[in-house]
Order: sequence, then C-alpha cells, then structure tokens
Amino acid sequence: MIGLLKGMATTMKHALDGTTFTVEYPDVAPEVSPRFRGVHKFSQERCIWCRQCENVCPNDTIQIVQDEQRNGEQYNLHIGQCIYCRLCEEVCPVDAILLTQNFEFTADTKDEFVYNKEQLKNVPWYKEIDPLNAREPDRGAWVGEGEGEVDYQ
Amino acid sequence: MTPLQVQTFPEAIAAMLPWSGLWVDVLSALVGTFLVANFLLLNTAVAGPWAKRKITAAFTDRISVNRMGPAGILTIPADAVRLLSKEQIIPEGVDRPAWDMGPILIPFSALLGFAVIPMGSGIQVADPEVGIAFAFAASSIASLGLIMMGYASNNKYSLMGGLRAVASNIAYEIPLVVTGVSVILFTGSLRTSTIVAEQAQPLVTLWGVSIPQWFAFVNPFAFALFTVANLAEVGRNPFDIPEAPTELVAGYQTEYSSAYFVLIYLGEFIHIFLGGAIAATLFLGGPAGPGPAALGIVWFTAKIWAFYLFTQWARSAIPRLRVDQFIEIGWKGMLVLSFANLVLTAVIVGVLA
Amino acid sequence: MSLERPDEREEETAVEERSADEIGELLGDNVIGREEHINAPAYVIRPDAVQETLSTLKSEAGYDHLSCVTAQEYEDRYESIYHLKKYDDPTQEVSVVVPTDRENPVSESAEPVFRTADWHEREAYDLVGIEYDDHPDLRRILLPDTWQGHPLSRDYDQNRPQVVTLREHANPLQEDYKAGGQDSDTMLLNIGPHHPATHGVLHVETVLDGEQVANIDPDIGYLHRCEEQMCQNGTYRHQIMPYPDRWDYTANMPNEWAYARAAEALADIDVPEYAQVLRTMGSELSRMTGHFLALSTFALDVYGDFSAIFMYGMRDREKAQNILEDLTGQRMMYNYFRLGGVVWDLPEPREEFFEKTRDFLEDLPQALEEYHDLISANEILQMRTVDTGVLPPEVAKEYGATGPVARGSGVDYDLRRDDPYGYYDELDWDVVTEDGCDNYSRLLVRMREVEESAKIVGQCIDLLEEWPEDDRTIQSNVPRTLKPDDDTEVYRAVENAKGELGVYIRADGTDKPARFKIRSPCFSNLQTLPEMSTGEYVPDMIASLGSLDVVLGEVDR
Repeated sequence: MIGLLKGMATTMKHALDGTTFTVEYPDVAPEVSPRFRGVHKFSQERCIWCRQCENVCPNDTIQIVQDEQRNGEQYNLHIGQCIYCRLCEEVCPVDAILLTQNFEFTADTKDEFVYNKEQLKNVPWYKEIDPLNAREPDRGAWVGEGEGEVDYQ
Repeated sequence: MTPLQVQTFPEAIAAMLPWSGLWVDVLSALVGTFLVANFLLLNTAVAGPWAKRKITAAFTDRISVNRMGPAGILTIPADAVRLLSKEQIIPEGVDRPAWDMGPILIPFSALLGFAVIPMGSGIQVADPEVGIAFAFAASSIASLGLIMMGYASNNKYSLMGGLRAVASNIAYEIPLVVTGVSVILFTGSLRTSTIVAEQAQPLVTLWGVSIPQWFAFVNPFAFALFTVANLAEVGRNPFDIPEAPTELVAGYQTEYSSAYFVLIYLGEFIHIFLGGAIAATLFLGGPAGPGPAALGIVWFTAKIWAFYLFTQWARSAIPRLRVDQFIEIGWKGMLVLSFANLVLTAVIVGVLA
Repeated sequence: MSLERPDEREEETAVEERSADEIGELLGDNVIGREEHINAPAYVIRPDAVQETLSTLKSEAGYDHLSCVTAQEYEDRYESIYHLKKYDDPTQEVSVVVPTDRENPVSESAEPVFRTADWHEREAYDLVGIEYDDHPDLRRILLPDTWQGHPLSRDYDQNRPQVVTLREHANPLQEDYKAGGQDSDTMLLNIGPHHPATHGVLHVETVLDGEQVANIDPDIGYLHRCEEQMCQNGTYRHQIMPYPDRWDYTANMPNEWAYARAAEALADIDVPEYAQVLRTMGSELSRMTGHFLALSTFALDVYGDFSAIFMYGMRDREKAQNILEDLTGQRMMYNYFRLGGVVWDLPEPREEFFEKTRDFLEDLPQALEEYHDLISANEILQMRTVDTGVLPPEVAKEYGATGPVARGSGVDYDLRRDDPYGYYDELDWDVVTEDGCDNYSRLLVRMREVEESAKIVGQCIDLLEEWPEDDRTIQSNVPRTLKPDDDTEVYRAVENAKGELGVYIRADGTDKPARFKIRSPCFSNLQTLPEMSTGEYVPDMIASLGSLDVVLGEVDR
C-alpha cells in the first residue's frame, strides 16, 4: 500500500509543480546543437566537381551531371531519401556542401524533395547561423591520407 | 425517521406553470429530465475532450491542448465535429442489431441512474421509495451493453473484453451494493432524499465548527471499500482490465468508430460521474456543503468531479491488475470485507438502537 | 573495474582452456580441415556430424554458448559457420565450419544440441538456402512463406517480381486452429503486427485456453530491411557506418561499435586511447537512452496508456539525447564512429559540455528515485511481475540469451567486462545481475544498469577533462580505401543495450565485404518468449514481451 501511495504522491507532485518539459513547438523554436545535421546547402562557387560526395554517399542520394569537359551541369540531391550521415560534407575538400541545422522542410509529394542546385543554394541557415564554425576543431581529422589509393575522378 | 417532503424537480417545474393536468405533469417531467441530462452531457463534454487531456498532461509534465480558445477549451466543439464527421465503419459479420444497441445502452443506463440522485438546489428528477437500489440497478444495465458489444463485434479482442467486463461487474457489484447497504442500515431507508437528509445532522462539534454526520466520517472503512469497488465498477485503473488497451486493444470497443465511439465514451464518462454521484449521496452528504442550500448543485458538481479527478490520478500511477488477480481480489477480498463491514455495522446499529 | 575485481574473477572462474590442437583431437575424425579465423580457430567438419561435434564441444570442452550461425555461399559450396563461445569466458571462441555441396545443400541441424539454432538455421535457410536435416520446423522466418528464391544466394534474381496473389497468402484469420485437436476450446489470437504492446511490428500467434496462453509462436520479419545485404554493398571505410544506428534504434551508438570492432580487427586498425574514451562515453549515454525507453514502455504495458512513467522516462531520455546531439550532431542516427576512431572531438567550449553532462548525472539519482517510487516499489507491479515470465538460467543459456535478459536470470555475462574493448577495463563499474529470473528481475537489472552507465560516463568525463591537450587524437591514420586481404574472416561482438551484438565479416580482397552477418541479441532473446509465457495469462505474456525489450529493427534487420 505504501508503494502505491508513493507512486500517487510522485505523480501528484509533478501535477502540482506546474513545470512542463515539452515546448510549444511552432511558437518556441527548439534549441538545435551547432553540429546538428539538417538540410544541405550547396555552394557552386566553391564546388570543384570532384564527385567525391556522390561516390561516398551510402544510398545514392546525390546525383551529379557533367558535360564532356567535366564542367558541372547539375547537382541534384534527394533530401527525402538522404539519411543525414554527413559523409558528403566530410569528404568535401572545399566545403562546397554543408549540412545546415535546418530541419523544417515539407512537400506535397516525394518528388518535390529532389532539390537541384538552385534550390540547394537557397536553403536558408537555421536562425541565421552558419554552422561552419562548429566544424572547426576537427575538420581535418577525417582525412587519413594513409597509403590507400585516392579515388579522385 | 419520517421521510422529508421533498419536491422533485418536475414537480417544481409544474408548480411554476399556470396550468394543471396530466399533460402538464408529462411536459414538466420531460423538461426536467431534459435539463438534467443536458447538464450531465455538458459535464461530460468538458471532461472528455478537454479536462481529461489537461489532467493527464499535468500528471505527465506536458502542455496539451491550448491552440483553440482560452486554454484550448474550444477544442470541445472541434472534437465533437471531428468525431461525428468520421466514417461509421461497420465491420463484416457483426451481429446487428445487438451491435448497434450496445453503444446506446451505455450512456442511457448511466443517465437513468441519475434520475434518483439529489443534485442539490432542488434538482432531483424522481424520489421513489427504492431510490438508491434503482441507481445501482440502472447503472448495471451497462454490463448488458458491454457484453452485447463484445459478443456482437465479431472480434476476439472484443469478446475477451466483453467477458472481462461481465466478470468484473459481477465480482465488484456485490461488494459495492453490500457496502452501500451498510449505509442504509443507518438511515433505514432506500430513499435518496432521506439518506442525504440524515447526513445533514451534526456528528460532533469541534471548536464551534459542526461536522455533519457524513457517512464517510462515520464509517471511513466502508467509504474506502466503496471507492475501490466503484473504480472497478467504472473500469478505471487499477481495474481497467475490460479495456486494457495494451492487452486487448480497448476490448469491447475495438470495432466502434465515429458516433458509436462517441456514445461509448460519453457513456463511460457519465458512468464515472454516476459512480461519483452515488458515492456522494451515500457517503459525502449529497449536495451538502457550506453556504446557502441554493449552492447545492455547485457542491454536488464539485464532488462528482473530485471522483473523476481521482480516477485520472489513479490512472497516472497505478498499474493494472492481472485478470485472475482482479477476480481474486473481488471475490476473496472485497466481498469478504464488505460483508464483515455489513455485519459490524449491523451490530453497531443494533446496539445503538 | 575496481582493482580487486579482476583477481577475484580469476579465482572464481578459472575456465579451463584447451589449445586448438587439443580441440582438434577431441573432435577426432569428424574434422576434415582447419581454418584460421581472426577471432578463433575454425574446424571444418563433415555435414553429417554437426550434432556430434557440437555436443562434444558443449559437454566436454565447455563451449555452452552458440553465439551465432552464419550461412554463406561460395562459388563451389555452401557453408554454415557455428560461432561458439563460453558463457564463463567469452574470449574462448571456436568456429565450426560445415561445408555442403552446391547441388544438395543439406547439413545436419544443430537444434537438438542448442535450442537457439532453431531460429538461426531458419534464417540461414530463408536467406541463403541451406537445408538442415533433423530441424523441427524449417520454415522461412524473415521473408513471407510465398517468397521465391533465397536472396543471399549467388543465383538469386533480384529483378524477378515477387507478386503473390492474395489468395496464395496464408490468411492467419482463416484457420482457427486448435491446440488440442478439434474438440478443445482453444482460440487463436493474433497479437500484432499492429498491437499497442508489441513494440513494433511483431506478430505473435497465440493460442489461448480461456485467458491462458496454450501455445505461442512469434512471427517476425515485418521490419526486414536487408541490412546485411546493404552492408555488403557498402565500402568498409565510410558507407557501412551509418547503418548500424538503424539496427537497434533505441540505443544506437553501441551498434556502431559492433561494426567498428569487427572491421578494425579485420583490417588491423588501431584506435587512439582518447577516441576509446569518447566511444565509451557515447556508448554508455546511448545505453541509458535505450534503458529509459525500455523502462517507460514496460510501464506502458503494465500500467496502461495513461501512465505518467512513460513521459518521465522520455524526459530523461531527452536529456541524454541532447548531450549526444551536442556531441554527434544527431539525436538518434549518430554516425559518430569511424574506423580507427570517432568523427568529432567534444564540442567547443568543452567546459559547457562537461557541465551539461555533469548536471544530467547529478539529477539522475533523483530521477531514479522517482522510478523506484513509481515502478519497483509498487505492490501491484510486484504482484504482476514477480514470478511471472520465468526464465531459468540454463534455459537462457540454451537459447543464447544475453544482455539484461540473461543477467536478470543470474547469468553473469557482460562482454564489456568479459571480453573487454574500448576503455571499459580501465574504469570502475560493476556488472549487474539479479537471480529472480522473472520480469521483475529484468526490470531491476535495467534500472541498476542505468546507474552503472552513469558511473562510467562520470569517469569518462573526468578523464576527458584532464586529458593532455596535445594528445587528443580522435582518429588514427586509416587508408581512404580499405581492402582487407582475401578470405579473411572475423566474428566480433560487443555488448549493446540489448545484449551481445556480433558482426561477422568475410573479406574477398575488394573494398566491400563479401558476407556481412549480424548477430542480433534481440533475435535470440525473443526466441525465449514461448518458454516464458506458455501456461501464463495474456497480460503476463505482454509483460514478458516488454521485459525482453525487443527492438524489431534489430530482430528483423
């Protein structure tokens, strides 16, 4: 009986203290960590079309189309298929693709989630924060040049 | 004890009308019951879509409905429209019309029970000699509805839910009624107005404050027994095994949607309120409370809501019993205790008399 | 681990170890060849001597834990590998390789020796196509009964449509089969795949006698996502690591360690010590998130849908997730490990991170106190859970149960201590066991393991804070393209929140694995459900299922 009463006292204590741990989401924007991985942002000025992001992507989310001179023509990314592993950003040697903290995206159909390079360029920063600074301490860490072959195309 | 001459609510209405005759009695009875039923439906409407969410959220540290109207109160009409505009799905192989009658029986039986409850401020639809026995009997009709729903749904979960509902009703109805009888031994009358009037007498006077002779103070043990049996009767934790969503996927009501779903929920909430009303009438002085007698309805409402809050509180913290333990507690525990209580009360009443 | 502990253990469990040659002698003529796996010696045996070999190993050499059965197809043969271990000392391993020819892939079943082989062999039959003689119930397990072909076999045509008309599908509603012949009063109840208490899409075919369970058969595979095949199509270096997070999706990070451990053993990669500490801390925080969810959903099963405990559990899980989000950038699918280390150091400013984590750890005892008030001290809960869902230790071992399920049955087995990896053997913590063997014990084990995890995280935080700044290497130098040597095989396991999560990899000289097999702890643990629940009431079955804490993403892979 004491255990029962203890349990009931505990829930009543929570009911009376008036604190909540949920937030009113659309009105109160959640705190997102600087490292959070959201929708990609693409920079055509930086991109050197090395196609490493396309190669490393585990589920073929990135599609790059080049002309005969290997100039980039298209950069398509299916943000609905993406698993947000951040490997593309990790292998990019020039920071041309970056995962913003922006997690709010909607569409009516799946097809609309296929972003081309213009759409990827226009992805806004979340709360105007450029997450590049959060990457700073360890950006070089992944490289691991080692002895293996480097598969630049 | 001479029964008090209490004017019932329809009589009061009839007295206000300038005419007389049979048709006036019928009309005023209809108007009276209409008003009382709507008062209860209003309470249920507040309790179901809104208060329940708010209460559960408070226990679980959440915010809950707050988008529509002040504190989200307008979610009530929104939910009503939403629920009623859903498709009424009638599964293949259900046994009609039993399947359709179940959901109607449940709120009906609960409302019927309220006919004899004195709600204060002169609101009481009828005051027959059998009073409280009628309330118990009417609320038990719900079991019939539950087994009809469970059996007619053509679903094994529903069948098990229906069987469990009947088992629980039988096991806990007896202790409930027997505990109620221990109160009637004091009053010597089944008439609800008499029971309430009896409790208005002072028990003791402490520091100039007169404590009324509420039977919850006279016999707290019986009150505790009654509250527990009542939880089982209305099917709330720790006795919610007929529904048991994590075992039986809501049991007898699995196959109901739209208007029928609303009716079932309505019925369940009115049942909780009826449970509270019977407990208030028998043990808490009915509509009695400080202040003028005209405030009776306010005190009465507060009491039935207190019982409702208690059911929600129990839900937040008390585990559900297993079905065999539940039956065992009913037959081996509650029944024995309630008869012990009855015998003890009878002896005390006999000695005092 | 405390300083005294290792000595104690050595005394009490001085498990006799036999050399590889001694075992070879013990097995005698049944051995037709020897192989060397990275983790253990392997004996190639005749396909008709499986039972004899395994029972010799079990009874005479003490290998009482059939951890995993891997099946694969080579160009010229099929092969089943039985990975054996000892519960008393899991570092002693041995693999039994059973080759069968391609035309007639039949070998003897190990089920009479190890009960757990039942499901493992069914999976091998389902995905690879090896048939097992003497198996009691050789049906498909992950794929539907109507599936054509075996997806991991070499000649499987992926483009072949698997169209099955509705009529051909077994209709679980149609046949109301009776457990005790036509005259019995039993009833078949399909619990799941969409049921509030199955914690995912699990289908439990239950035969009820009144309210009691007469027979029970878990039907899995609804969440099969071809994880093994996806890993076989990914490169070692990068592309596999995002996926382990999706196996056990309640406590994700230890899963990454399972792959990292196997692949690092395969390619002989060292991990810097600093990264090991980070890995240990992240994994333990993640284990806590998993246990919070397990606790709170168990409360849902036993208390009902309006139990406040669920939200309190979510609240604490949320706090741990916030810390992990700061560390890794995601709340569930961390992708934090890399071969040879981790991807990120602690977030700057480090002090803020330490403070946040310490606050969480400081609040934890109070939160646990609340859980004890609400759950373990509750008399009704004790009535419900004590002595229900009983799993005796011998049975648990027989089914290969690991993790909190085994430890709740008094089996003192935890790979973090018994087969140490990461930084665990440098830290001071204890393995939690309970002897009750029932639902209540499993619940208590999880609650106490949260405390142990908190101890580990606290020590890791202290270590990280004092770590010299010039020695913070988070990744060793790993080639960009990994190509482990042809025909090297490794089976390595770690302790995730649910138990022993093992990964078997066979390399074929390319940058992708030739065979990637996942040994999921939930898969083995779920197998014990019939043992626990037969003869009990439906609510106890639901409670047992909750206390097993299966994650269907990991069962079905």
